[in-house]
Amino acid sequence: MNLFSRGVRNAFRNTIRTSSIVIILALSIGLTIAMLAARQAVTDKIASVKSSVGTTISISPAGFRGFEGGGTALTSAQLAKAAATAHITKVTQMLNDRLSANNTSLQSAIEAGVLGQRFGSSSGTDTVPQLPADTNTSSSTDTTVTTRSFTPPVTVTGANDLTGTAAFGGSTAKITSGSSIDASSNEDIALVGKALAAKNNLSVGSTFTAYGATITVKGIFDTGTTVGNGGVIVPLATLQRLSSQAGSVTSAVVTVDSLDNLSSTTTAIKTALGSAADVTNSQDLADQTVQPLESVKNISLFSLVGALVAGAVIILLTMMMIVRERRREIGVMKAIGASNVTIMAQFIVEALTLTVLGLILGTLVGVAAASPVTKTLVTNSSSSQTQSFGGAPGGSLPSTARPAGGPGLRTFGHANSQTLGNITASVGGGTLALGVVAALCIAIIGSAVPSFLISKIKPAEAMRSE
Amino acid sequence: MLDVQNLIKTFRTEGDTVTAVDNVSFTVAGGEFASIVGKSGSGKSTLLALLGALDTPTSGHIIIGDDDIAQLRDRALIEYRRSRIGFVFQSYNLVPNLSALENVMLPMEYAGLNPTERRKRAKKLLDQVGISDDKQVRKPGRMSGGEQQRVSIARALANKPKLILADEPTGNLDSENGKMVFDLLHKLAKSEHTTILVVTHDLDIAGRTDRTFRLVDGKLQKKK
Ligand SMILES: Nc1ncnc2c1ncn2[C@@H]1O[C@H](COP(=O)(O)OP(=O)(O)OP(=O)(O)O)[C@@H](O)[C@H]1O
Ligand SMILES: [Mg+2]
Repeated sequence: MNLFSRGVRNAFRNTIRTSSIVIILALSIGLTIAMLAARQAVTDKIASVKSSVGTTISISPAGFRGFEGGGTALTSAQLAKAAATAHITKVTQMLNDRLSANNTSLQSAIEAGVLGQRFGSSSGTDTVPQLPADTNTSSSTDTTVTTRSFTPPVTVTGANDLTGTAAFGGSTAKITSGSSIDASSNEDIALVGKALAAKNNLSVGSTFTAYGATITVKGIFDTGTTVGNGGVIVPLATLQRLSSQAGSVTSAVVTVDSLDNLSSTTTAIKTALGSAADVTNSQDLADQTVQPLESVKNISLFSLVGALVAGAVIILLTMMMIVRERRREIGVMKAIGASNVTIMAQFIVEALTLTVLGLILGTLVGVAAASPVTKTLVTNSSSSQTQSFGGAPGGSLPSTARPAGGPGLRTFGHANSQTLGNITASVGGGTLALGVVAALCIAIIGSAVPSFLISKIKPAEAMRSE
Repeated sequence: MLDVQNLIKTFRTEGDTVTAVDNVSFTVAGGEFASIVGKSGSGKSTLLALLGALDTPTSGHIIIGDDDIAQLRDRALIEYRRSRIGFVFQSYNLVPNLSALENVMLPMEYAGLNPTERRKRAKKLLDQVGISDDKQVRKPGRMSGGEQQRVSIARALANKPKLILADEPTGNLDSENGKMVFDLLHKLAKSEHTTILVVTHDLDIAGRTDRTFRLVDGKLQKKK
């Protein structure tokens, strides 16, 4: 029997109180650990998003809103001027167009779906609702079309460079059969997305018609996204010729040699192009993308501090209550020769016992809660972010350049929250160590004031009879 | 052995000042068994608390051996409470979640005695005050008042003090248990040459001590 075992034993003098305190502490420590893990996960994610977006600058015509219209296409001449800027390693120019039933033999691989019906049928560029080829316009008896059927068009992207991810809407594409095409050529050749190929029974060597020309499939690619796999990619010159848009470019992606030169190059290009183009660099985009994560980081920090403070306050109040209750006993200990330090140490052991129990239970809570809490935080804040994107003019969003089938703007937020939502938090050694430190802080703060109270109790307290 | 000179203790409460111990002087020889009697509120407990260094006097001297307790500070005071005196309280004041044995071992632990020695001595003391082995492991809540007070006497003796201060040790006990506790104290005073100062209401008990001091409103009236 010594000071230490007495401290531990005293922690269990009132089992009901001990259990409640331990549970509350466990929740507070669990939350602290979960928040530490969330913060770590989010920090890692931000770093990985920022490093993955690379050093690119997106250029799109000013006011351009993808297939929703707006803006005047840029010209290759303008871009050549921009490309003259220093530090640029590559300029990928792209022209996007849409093929509908009246100018291609291809059928879209993308089902319109409920949203497609809703948005597509009211789409500004698509004034004539497209009826599926197999349903004949047999409404000879009907004069009014009751159900407006809509088939998404096939997106065709003309690009002068296929080496990066730009032509594939930012996704990394794999050629699953055949081979890539020479993007600088002017031949009637194409790469088709996996889904589109399947829908139209296309394989390497097959042909399809578009703009009245016969185009040969040279390769099939897989981007891993439904929208990307539904597209067609042709050399830029080919598309400019076939769609009678000589020299037009709807977007360009400039690759800069290093992150350090990104912002200066962006400014230079902005100056070169003036008001004709919206210029955004990948880090700006990354910043926008990780903005919800930054807010999660803040939320997790506040919750972390809040949970810690709550834990410390709980222990503090508990220990103050215990010291008050045992005033007389403390007086007796002093009367029989205990020093203040000895008594304080015993009470600190008691506080530590409660905290360690809370820590053990709290670690379980934290480990169990880390991932769900992180997911919830990220999903909630990125979906609120999506809403604010929806309401804002989308001209500056370079993502419209992706070979997307549906209304590009609206899919952005979705894709965004999907990427960010794909986040897992795990409680690692570092987080646990921090959790232990946090628990120790709780115990120390929680013991400091009671210790002071202990030092103030007179041994004569033992004389009081109740 | 104990020399008290012009001891004064005043309490200040909301403007009011109460002089609980009013210029008290007396001496007690080594091995003497003395009692303090007086009406409720006459200052008996306050005087005992001053002698036991549980409280500090407003003025005066308490000389034990070569030390003036009234002048001692911090560590010396703790040392004094720990090994020079033993306190017995009216309401026993045992630590409720420690067994009788552990309660008796506590002051020895504070004094730095090793665990085996503590246990050995605690057992011996409990045997002496008549607490059987099976009761030694019991917690105070499961002992009678008389038993608890005997444990508390054993605790007071733990560090072999030269002076035992007992504040109404029989106050909560029936006459039979009271007598047993008193006899125990009496026997100790004689066999161990321990000085004992006992506060009591019971004039019968006071009459059987070597000397009796009477307190009236904080002032000492020497009897006999
Ligand atoms: N801590 C204190 N603060 C203020 N007044 C006190 C304090 N302790 C004692 N007193 C006062 O000092 C006086 C003496 O009290 P004390 O407890 O010494 O009396 P007592 O002789 O032991 O009485 P009893 O026989 O009832 O135990 C009383 O008037 C009491 O109210
Ligand atoms: Mg009293």
